[in-house]
Amino acid sequence: MVEESRVENTAKERDFLVLSGISKRYGGVVALENVDFACERGKIHAVLGENGAGKSTLIKIVAGVVQPDAGTMRLEGEEVRFPSPSSANAAGVASIFQELSLLPDLSVADNISITSPPRRLGFIDTKAQRRRAEALLAEIGCEDVNPLMRVRDLPLSRRQMVEIAKALGQKPQLFVLDEATSALTSADVEKVYAMLARLKAQNIAILYISHRMHEVEALADRASVFRNGRHIETFDWGRRSTGEIVQLMIGRDIATQYPPKPLRPKGKPALKLGNLCWERRLEAISLEVAAGEIVGLGGLDGQGQKTLLLALFGVLRGVTGEIVINGKPVRPSSPAFAKSPSVGIALVPEDRKTEGLMLPMSIADNLAIASLHTLETGPFVDRAKERSAVEKGIARLRIKVGDSKDAVSTLSGGNQQKVVIAKWLMTEPGIILLNDPTRGIDVGTKQEIYRLMRELADQGVAILFYSTDYDELIGCCDRVAIMYDGRIVRELEGTDLTEHNIITSALNIDGAAATSPPGEATHV
Amino acid sequence: MTAASLNISLSRDARPILISASFILVILIAGTFYTLSRLGTAPLLSPTYLLQQLQIGSFLGIVAAGMMIVILISQIDLSVPWTLTAAAMMATAVGGPWALPVGLGVGLLVGLVNGIGVAYLRIPSMIFTLGVNAVMRGLMVAHTGGFAPQTAATDLMRWLAADHSFGIPNALFVWLAVSALVALILRRMALGRYIYAIGNKEAAAYLAGVNTRGVIITCFVLCGIAAGLAGVLLAGYSTKAYQGMGDAYLLPSIAAVVIGGTNILGGRGRYLGTLVGVILIVLLNSVLSIMEMPEAGRQVIYGSVIILMLLVYGRGEKVTS
Repeated sequence: MVEESRVENTAKERDFLVLSGISKRYGGVVALENVDFACERGKIHAVLGENGAGKSTLIKIVAGVVQPDAGTMRLEGEEVRFPSPSSANAAGVASIFQELSLLPDLSVADNISITSPPRRLGFIDTKAQRRRAEALLAEIGCEDVNPLMRVRDLPLSRRQMVEIAKALGQKPQLFVLDEATSALTSADVEKVYAMLARLKAQNIAILYISHRMHEVEALADRASVFRNGRHIETFDWGRRSTGEIVQLMIGRDIATQYPPKPLRPKGKPALKLGNLCWERRLEAISLEVAAGEIVGLGGLDGQGQKTLLLALFGVLRGVTGEIVINGKPVRPSSPAFAKSPSVGIALVPEDRKTEGLMLPMSIADNLAIASLHTLETGPFVDRAKERSAVEKGIARLRIKVGDSKDAVSTLSGGNQQKVVIAKWLMTEPGIILLNDPTRGIDVGTKQEIYRLMRELADQGVAILFYSTDYDELIGCCDRVAIMYDGRIVRELEGTDLTEHNIITSALNIDGAAATSPPGEATHV
Repeated sequence: MTAASLNISLSRDARPILISASFILVILIAGTFYTLSRLGTAPLLSPTYLLQQLQIGSFLGIVAAGMMIVILISQIDLSVPWTLTAAAMMATAVGGPWALPVGLGVGLLVGLVNGIGVAYLRIPSMIFTLGVNAVMRGLMVAHTGGFAPQTAATDLMRWLAADHSFGIPNALFVWLAVSALVALILRRMALGRYIYAIGNKEAAAYLAGVNTRGVIITCFVLCGIAAGLAGVLLAGYSTKAYQGMGDAYLLPSIAAVVIGGTNILGGRGRYLGTLVGVILIVLLNSVLSIMEMPEAGRQVIYGSVIILMLLVYGRGEKVTS
């Protein structure tokens, strides 16, 4: 008892933010249950846990996005209540969420100063606003972003940096980052690290949520682990090993991170690209993916990897060059054509919330939407067929579902991504294109996705897999094609497939030296 | 975890329908109370009177059925008034056995133009269909010289719109058939699922391999045909076509859809709601006319009711992206 009250006293002195007894439920789902949590000034406090552990809800409560059902929140000893995000901002809490909050049709400068633009005679002072944006962007090392550009025209990674600059502009006392680095390139991540170190030196409290353990390892001073809506443990970083932390997060052991790669002769080429070009974004792409093979697309963000996937899926107009599928030349003109049985391509898109799912619709509707035409009897959707197909999809990916009639938005991020993947598996594709499918997803689900990819490959599916995570590419892929400026600069395979090789090729460091065409570069 | 509305998701679609159904009861009770105290009769409780009102309402109901499909894909069709008028004028001008097919054909054609404009030319439907409405109006004025056309409705049109079978107006059967068809499309067919999907997130539907352009065109064609059918029936009911006969159908049809709980931004809503919305508007109109409310007062009340209903539904529902 004595011990406990002493801890409480010191907590009152040092802690910047203290939550006690916070609970939150969404309908029947308990998101947080009786959570006590505290964080200090001048420390980077990592919040760890699987998707659905309650991290996002915790952050949303701190940021004033949702209100707790019970419990109190104290800021520097004073009880506070944030009925809206702006009240949290006013109290010095700036947050960056997994979902971006930028307005796509406004300029970068407009977005950065959206809540309190500099004014002159009552009108927005655009020059001051622009200078402010330039200064903030410079602070995070993004001088290359033009503040007058529309946010819509920026790639995702740059948008994320703009979001960070915007939060920084609010002069926060508590800075909250929820998966803020998941869309960033490694160069940008370094810049964010440097910025966080500066904020820390300014005695600002920082809450950091990331599924990337190496980031947490590099940054955290303290860490709290959450599981199933409960606060499990808070400790100074270094007091627990990574293995122990993972154990705390998932409550079970993870043996191997990646499924083993089978050694077997290459199958027949399922997908063959010859001299594929689109505008100036794809230049002379030649690539083969065999049945049963997982081929990775690597390189820095925005070098044409996503464009290539979209071109194959028939989204882009004016693609030239050759696409050969199972020996037959095809010209995908729309996703509807690309998914037809004779082509058999599936795409798991970049942004599951806007491109992968119809969030307000039910889980069952979302699962069935791509294969609905195969579930018809006469002019009507056959409900029995549909139900059994949906159940099969849910079971195959072990999606955690209460009722398949619930809106898909009620699922956690990892389970939502499983719905997107299951939807496409229901069309029985021969070629699967994956656009960064594990972004912002918990460790457990990531591993399930890796295993599933290998399982599908074993069944003869050809997989083309873009990821911003090099570790993942090395662990999952039989071969990785590195793209730079719309071209494939190198293909890595076997023992060549190392982080060092990926990074040097991605930066095109040896681009001048390696004049040999990509196909030959793989032979050592 | 964005959906804080999990607990009300079950009743979310049913709530507006229940609210408007109870509002219908309020109208009936208040109207009856008024007529009893003033005239000593209760026409609102007489089946003959109600059937007559529903007969007039069936034209609105058919227009609203089409409008709902277009609103569900988060579009709108403002060309309905002159699509309806053009269909009526063309049908009476052709006459004979071809009158009905020609009327429906006009609707189909206008819908096709609307659909292509929205799906392929990517012009916002609010502007495109407004333009098409003006074009149709110009064409009809040119066709008639600006006068009331001298042609008359065919016997079939009159039978469908004005006659009774088993004591029930035939127009009601037509409305019922249209309703059954729309409900089947929305609830049981793949097309219906695609309509909701497009209304919720067109990009996601497109990337799921849905032929979004085809679905959008189909929706506008269905709406055009519905307007055409309503025009043919209305001409049958009035025995002829006349200038501006469709003008009174645009706002009420949109209102009926929205009052029935269909999200004006698309993606959500049940057909039963539209049905209830139409009945509500028809009864409100007839009560106001029994009360001998002047036109100006009627417009004010009518508009206020729509806004009121929307306020009631809007409570507690955030527009989230």
